[in-house]
Amino acid sequence: MIPRLSALSFRTKINCGIVLIVGLIAIPLAYLTWRAAAESLQTETRKRGLVLSENLAMRVSDAMLSMDLLRMKNMVDELKKVDDISYAFILDRQGSVLVHTFSGGFPVELAEVNAPDGPKPHIRLLDTGRELIDDFAAPVTIVGTPFGTARIGLSRTKAEAAADRLALMIVFYSAAAMVAALAPSTLFARRVTERINRLKRHAEEVVRGNLDPRAGPDAARACSVMLDCDKTRCPAYGDNRRRCWLTASPDQRGEGPESCRDCPVYREQKGDEIQDLAETFDVMAVSLKTHLDELRRAERVLSRQERLLRTILDATPDLVCLVDENARYLAVNRAFANFLGQTSEAIVGASDREVYPEDEGEAMHEENRRVLAAGRPSDREVRLRRGGSPVWFHVVRVPVVDGSGRVIGLLRTARDVTQLKQFQEQLIQSQKMESLGKLAGGVAHEINTPLGVILGYSQLLQEDVPGGSQIQADLQTIEKQAKVCRKIVADLLGFSRQAESAKIEMCFNNSLMEAITLVRHALSLEKVVIATDLDERMPIIYGDPEKLKQVWINLLSNASDALEGRGGTLLVRSRLFAHEQKVTAWFADDGPGISPDNVGRIFDPFFTTKPVGQGTGLGLSVSFGIIKDHGGSIRVETPAPEGFFDALDDPGNDRPGTVFVVDLPLDHEETIGGGLPANATEA
Amino acid sequence: MRRRDVLLAGLCLPFLAACGRDEDAVRVDLSRREEPVLRQPPRAVTYAYLPQYAHTVSYERHRLLLDYIGRATGIPLRQVFPDTFEEHVRMVERGEIDISFSNPFAYIRMAASGARAFARIIEPSGKPDFRSQIICRRDNKELKTLADCRGKRWMAVDPSSAGGYIYALGEFYDNGIRRSDFAEISFAPGPGGKQEKVVLAVFAGACDIGSVRDGTLEILRGRIDLSQIRILAESKSYPGWVYGARAGFSPEIVEKIARAMFALRYDRPDDAAILSAAGMRGIIPAVDADYDSVRRLAEKLGLDALPGGEE
Repeated sequence: MIPRLSALSFRTKINCGIVLIVGLIAIPLAYLTWRAAAESLQTETRKRGLVLSENLAMRVSDAMLSMDLLRMKNMVDELKKVDDISYAFILDRQGSVLVHTFSGGFPVELAEVNAPDGPKPHIRLLDTGRELIDDFAAPVTIVGTPFGTARIGLSRTKAEAAADRLALMIVFYSAAAMVAALAPSTLFARRVTERINRLKRHAEEVVRGNLDPRAGPDAARACSVMLDCDKTRCPAYGDNRRRCWLTASPDQRGEGPESCRDCPVYREQKGDEIQDLAETFDVMAVSLKTHLDELRRAERVLSRQERLLRTILDATPDLVCLVDENARYLAVNRAFANFLGQTSEAIVGASDREVYPEDEGEAMHEENRRVLAAGRPSDREVRLRRGGSPVWFHVVRVPVVDGSGRVIGLLRTARDVTQLKQFQEQLIQSQKMESLGKLAGGVAHEINTPLGVILGYSQLLQEDVPGGSQIQADLQTIEKQAKVCRKIVADLLGFSRQAESAKIEMCFNNSLMEAITLVRHALSLEKVVIATDLDERMPIIYGDPEKLKQVWINLLSNASDALEGRGGTLLVRSRLFAHEQKVTAWFADDGPGISPDNVGRIFDPFFTTKPVGQGTGLGLSVSFGIIKDHGGSIRVETPAPEGFFDALDDPGNDRPGTVFVVDLPLDHEETIGGGLPANATEA
Repeated sequence: MRRRDVLLAGLCLPFLAACGRDEDAVRVDLSRREEPVLRQPPRAVTYAYLPQYAHTVSYERHRLLLDYIGRATGIPLRQVFPDTFEEHVRMVERGEIDISFSNPFAYIRMAASGARAFARIIEPSGKPDFRSQIICRRDNKELKTLADCRGKRWMAVDPSSAGGYIYALGEFYDNGIRRSDFAEISFAPGPGGKQEKVVLAVFAGACDIGSVRDGTLEILRGRIDLSQIRILAESKSYPGWVYGARAGFSPEIVEKIARAMFALRYDRPDDAAILSAAGMRGIIPAVDADYDSVRRLAEKLGLDALPGGEE
């Protein structure tokens, strides 16, 4: 299969070109020379033949007169010795052959085929079958009288063979010239190809990103050395690796190579076109490298900035997204993607209708449309459903405009304000409760007096009735229920801060132990065991012992209630944190824990999970108020921290449990307890 | 495409133009051979002119005379061309030449073999006898008299040439110069045209002196510059060229031929053309005794002792 011309190697092309040129010159030249030589030889042969025949005719006349056959024979034989003379013979005036050069008899036909044209010789081309012969017939004339004919045959084939030899010689020398031309052309082509290949390898290196190798040769001296130039800031200064007309600063090299034509540096260092190409390539590589470096730097800066921006966007808990003019997402931050439970890539290109539930998506989309159409920001709160619970978002849409003021998209920021909403609700509730508290306080205060009267009178009446009578029993019931009422009223008054607080220095552990002792028996009836783990340093606090005792009892009975009558363990632990100036008490049960929904509300007044009639929902609320009044805090942890019950002999069941944590401040220096080492504050 | 066609045509044009052969060859079969047999010439009286010139000159000179004699006598004549004087003499002796036209010295040699003179010519000078001329280059200052020829190179026509050698030799002899006195005696080379060759040799400076019969210089007039040739001396006159019949040739035929010859008159234009071509003014009767002076000269020079005229 013949390869395509364009696919041939450069060297082959040059060699083919040389062969073609020499061939195109030599072959027509050889042919034309051959033709010209053949014609010239033919003409010369004719002339020679004429001269020879006429000469023979003239020389033979004497011998013919004397009929000297020997002389005549000698004459024709002498002619025959000439290479291309095929024959010679002489006829007398009757046409009889006198002498001839043939051996083995005279060809009979030959005598008749040619005759002189009167006094002039005549030429006739004869074809003997083996060769072509020019036959010359010259008349032998003596004093105008024809005496006979001299005939000579010159082989044209032999003459043409000489021309053929000449043509062959030209072809041979042409072929020799071709071979001779091929050697330097091969060398030349190899040199050129090597340089082109070097350039190619260089280009491949550049393609691979390696811009350091150089294709052009080093100059012996840098331009600054040659010209004794002191412009050290010029890029070409002292550089003999690259040509100054390519690298020098524009004010140094003017219009470039054109203006450098007369410069001695240019004249000395200028190479051929391939070297020019290689040097330009080197400069290009350097320029490319510089640009690439700049580009990489810019890319690094950009990438860093992008990273920063992305970090900022991703770090913010707000849902941020950029939407184009067709209300399709252009970019979203991580919080947004997490909220939707999809990847950013999946969201980009989609619209609200595709990523949100049907009703929400439609509303969002419509709002987007409105903002895009109006070109004004919008700011509203929306309620979405997520995981069965409502989530509130404060959504801000800001239109994005291009240079001409046209709206090309919008930036949407959505902030989760669910907690804020809850706080708002709680605030409203608190205000309501505050009003209710004041009202209840007023009412309790008013009821307290008649209740005292009822209690007093029922006790007086008991003294008036016989012991063990039905009336006494009824009076005791009245007294008991009146006391219950007084307790409720007292709670209400405490809640509404209308009861006076009497704070003294007191032992924290003793306060706890008093409460525990009070309830231990009652709780043991419900198979509840109270375990204690109290700080041995006996921290002293400044507080109202009665109110705190009420808190501990509230927390213990609350814990007992949490066990739902199935029994269990309560763990009370106290610890002094001297460096934090606080003492902490833990009230833990191993009950079923508090549901997450209720955790936030357990300290609300009147919040209770107990059936109607079994709780007022004021216990924890009052406890919260008392602790708050002592400058402390109360919080709940449910389920209980891992390993909380490990200190017990019987860690109990696997239920999550609940821990109430009460922190109380050590108001006075002396309450810490003197002589205790600072590092002994941790149990 | 069009341009490429034109280019291709341009490249091919020289080839097309150079093609083809411009003549037709005649087919000849060279294989059919036979040895040619030479035709015998018809019988005729043979006539020869002593070869002092080239055969063609001899032919040209005597062609008209032979035609005339043939016409006048009705006897067919054929001119034959001996190559040398000696051959001429021998051919007469052998009977191959019937009528011989020769110089007197050749005649006396032929007469010795029985040939007999029957006519002699009137020389172009108008006299029936002729002489030898001794010539040299005009610019040869050394040659003023015959005596100056001693020690010189002499070229003569032929050892048997009367006017070209023997008469001159007689003249030298009479002047006391012997052949040994010459630095060299050479003879004109080759057959025919010997008189002219001697003149040319002198003219070219190949020899110092030459000897030719009178009238030779006129033949060369126009071909060389005769003014460069000086006639140093002339010999005595001897009877001119003679017609002799070979021994045993028919006297009747001789008589017929002689009559026809004698009938030629130079004042008749036709005859004058014939006579002029033959280099004569007329033909007159002759007898053998007319050549005794020549015989004496030969004896004096001792030429008889040498057959063939080789001295």
